[in-house]
Order: sequence, then structure tokens, then C-alpha cells
Amino acid sequence: MNNNILYIEDNPDNMRLVQRALESRGYRLLQANNGLDGVQMAETEQVDLILLDINLPDIDGYEVARRLRSSQKRALASTPIIAVTANALKGDAERALDAGCDVYMSKPINIRELWARVEAFVPTP
Amino acid sequence: MESNAPYSAESMNLSFLSYLECSGCGEHYKHTELNTFCPICQSPLLSRYDLAAARRQVDRDAVIGRKKGMWRWHELLPVLNRENQIFLGEGDTPLLSLPHLEKELELSHLFVKDESSNPTGSFKARGLAAAVSKAKELGVEKVIIPTAGNAGGALAAYAARAGLQAHIFMPKDTPFANIEESRMAGADVTLVDGLISDAAGMAGEKARTEGWFDVSTFKEPYRVEGKKIMGYELAEAFDWQLPDVIVYPTGGGTGLVGMWKAFDELESLGWLENTKRPRMVSVQADGCAPVVKAFKEGASFCDFWINAHTIASGLRVPKSFADHLILQDIYESEGTAIAVSDESILDSQHQLAATEGIFAAPEGAATLAALKELIKQGWVDSEERIVLFNTGSGLKYLDYSSQ
Repeated sequence: MNNNILYIEDNPDNMRLVQRALESRGYRLLQANNGLDGVQMAETEQVDLILLDINLPDIDGYEVARRLRSSQKRALASTPIIAVTANALKGDAERALDAGCDVYMSKPINIRELWARVEAFVPTP
Repeated sequence: MESNAPYSAESMNLSFLSYLECSGCGEHYKHTELNTFCPICQSPLLSRYDLAAARRQVDRDAVIGRKKGMWRWHELLPVLNRENQIFLGEGDTPLLSLPHLEKELELSHLFVKDESSNPTGSFKARGLAAAVSKAKELGVEKVIIPTAGNAGGALAAYAARAGLQAHIFMPKDTPFANIEESRMAGADVTLVDGLISDAAGMAGEKARTEGWFDVSTFKEPYRVEGKKIMGYELAEAFDWQLPDVIVYPTGGGTGLVGMWKAFDELESLGWLENTKRPRMVSVQADGCAPVVKAFKEGASFCDFWINAHTIASGLRVPKSFADHLILQDIYESEGTAIAVSDESILDSQHQLAATEGIFAAPEGAATLAALKELIKQGWVDSEERIVLFNTGSGLKYLDYSSQ
């Protein structure tokens, strides 16, 4: 089953919300609460889509996206990445897309929109 | 947070508000508690009224005879105690015919709902009157808002009147009038290097850390209630038959969603003479048109608009929190969405002033620019009753008008 979604997010409330929402649709959520763990998990696990917070405690989401896109694990060059962030400072969306993200979403995350965005890349199991 | 507000017997008739409903998942929430948006699915909450009871007890014609202003529709507004209604004269704005433009554009029934006569010079007064009144009723003391301009001025004024402290985050290129009117009313103003979405991010963070109540568009349930009264006023002005086309500038979309909600309520109340609804036209600027793009794609949500830019600061909203509601209402109304250039906005602003004497805000002028496009496309019929919305006064944008 290709339904593994990795969420790289340090906020436990957001993590719980997204976990509930995606697991209710049959997806399996892999969780990383900082950027370096997220990159490592993406490289070692089979991941079909990545949800990426931009404001992370170690390396930021842009750097995570860049590392994923240039990873030796070739599949990560094309794994869909959805950037998700609350503090949309000027140019954040552009930077996220430039860093290799496919879609940019702003918080609060509307669950219906999240389902639609995820399903566009990974059909509901 | 539980309200301490006294709910008198009078409140039962003052408002028929029953509960709040999530526009996404349908979950219900208590209107006697302070709510923001749905914690389950993070969609906006909408106020639901006991319309069956209102239908039995409220006489449509009695409302007409009341003292002018938004609160004469109090049964369909969320405030339960009259002393919490903050009134600065909002509502009952004129519906003006546009005889010269009718002739020029070969139309028979063209109108503008001129919202510039609201307190603080824009339609934002309606939403903030409702939101601040309800916040006061629910015991709020400090409110915070990100704004492209006019909402800040309106919040500052209503908060001052209500005795609340207002904190306002606005882009640093916000029209000077908005900055000054906010400061004059005692608000704490923070200028942000970015767009309203940037201001929203900062304000949201501040709201979380300081515990201030966030009255951002659709992140609390009541601004849309104030805005919806535009729909009630239109119904009344057209003798309880709605116009054929409403051309509305769309940033956050509160007015468009609010009016469509009003039409639903009016139908449930049995106050309309027929069930024919207007086609809703969402107008945006070429430099920031997320709703137009999503509409063309048949999408349910908008993509975040990259590098938003337009002189119409109220239209510089890269993505509305209620985008799905805006799109849903346009689809349901069999309406459309259209983007116009800044040049055509400025031309139309001049045209409205020079031909009809209305110095419109650029967002309002955008509706005339859009109408001209719709005529070219054959989307409107010359016999239809068409209403443009001027959402504010051009006097608040003299920074660029004088350039």
C-alpha cells in the first residue's frame, strides 16, 4: 500500500490534528518533530508524500526541502512535498516552492483542503 | 470561555441566535461561549438562528419602520443583550441608481450599493460592529486583527466605543488614512513588512501568546453576521425580490459569503416574494486573483497567490480562510469570478466619480471594471438588475490617487 505520509512538524497540536485527519482516511502518518529527523526518516522509510512545516527548531523547512530534493535516495527527487506554515513572512511561499516544495498551504490547516491536497498526489487508500 | 453576560428575557426576542455550526464538518458549538473557528477541521463557524420561530414572531414590515441602521435587524444578529450593541451609525447605506453609466453601458437597471457612508468610510464597519459587540458581550477585553487597511480603522473605532483595547497589524504600505485613523482611536498599530497574510501570521502568533481575541476574517464567527445585513438591505430595497446580478470585490470574501447566507435566511423566513437568487460575481485584481484561478479550474479551494500586488489593497489577500465558502457560493449562484487590471480599476474609479459623482475605493471601482468585461463577454443581459458594490470611500486612498 502506497499511503505513507511523513509530517515534519514540531507543534504537537498540529501533529495530532493532522494525524487524526489523515488516519481517518486510511493513510499512515510517520512523524518527525524536527528537520534533521525528518530528512533521516524520509531517507530510511518508504514515504509517498511529505507535509513540511517551515518553522522548525533546527534546520528550517526550506533547507529540509533542499536536502530531500538532492538526497542520494533518488525517489525523494519526485516525492510530493506540501509546505505548511503559520508565519507566512514576505516571500515564504516563493521560497518554499523554490526550495522544491510542490504546494504551499497556510495554517490554520483546513482539514478538507488537506484531504483534497493529499488526495491529489496520493489517492485515498 | 463562559460568558458572564446577563441574558435577560428580552434577549430571547432581541436575537434568535441558537448555536454556531462549523461550515466544514457541521459540528455545533455554543454561542454563549467564546469561539474562534472549528477546532476539529479548522473551518469557519457560522451562526445559526431559530428561523422557524423568527418566521412566526418577526414581522418583516415592522423591521422597515425601525430606527435606521444595522441593528434594526437585531433578531437576525448575534447580540443577545441590547446594551452590548455598539452602534456608530453603520448600515442602511444608499442604493444609488447610475443613470449616466446605464446609458453609456446600454443597461436598464444599474445600481451601486455605496458602503462609503458607513462609519470609518467602509463596509468593514458592519462586520466589526457585530464582532466587537459580540466580543464585548462574551467578556473579551483585548482584540487583535491583521488588516489590509479599512478593517483596522473600523476595529479601532468600535473597540474604542466598546472600551476594548485594539491591536492592529497592517502592511507598512497600507493607506496612510487607515494607519492614522487606527492610531487616533487609540489602537496599538504594528506595521508589517509584507502582505496581509504576513500580518495575519504575526497577529495569529501574538493572539496565541498574549491571549488576545483574534477578529481576523472568518477566524471568529460574527463579522460575517454584520456583513450579511447588506443582503437584507438589498432585499428590502428591491421590494423583497433580489437583483439579478451582484458584482462584489473579493478579498477575504466576508461580504459575498454573508450576503449568500442572508439570502438563505430570507428564504427560510419567508420574506422573499420569489426564490430567484442573484448570480454572484467575485471581482479580484490581476495581481492577486486566487478565487478567479480556482473558479476557472473548478476547484474547491484556492492556491496561495504568490507575489500578490494591486493598488486595491483590500484585494491583496493571497488566500482567504473561507475560500471554500466563497467558491461554493459562486458555484451555487451560477455566478462567475473575474480579474481586472489596476489600470482598468483606476479608469473606472475616475469614470464613477466623473459621471456619477461617486469617489469610490479602488475595490469598489473594480466592480465597474469587471462589469464592463462581463458586458463584452455577453455574460449580463441589458435588462437585468445589476448591483455593483462600492465598499469604501476613495478619500481613504489619497496616497496613490494624488500621485
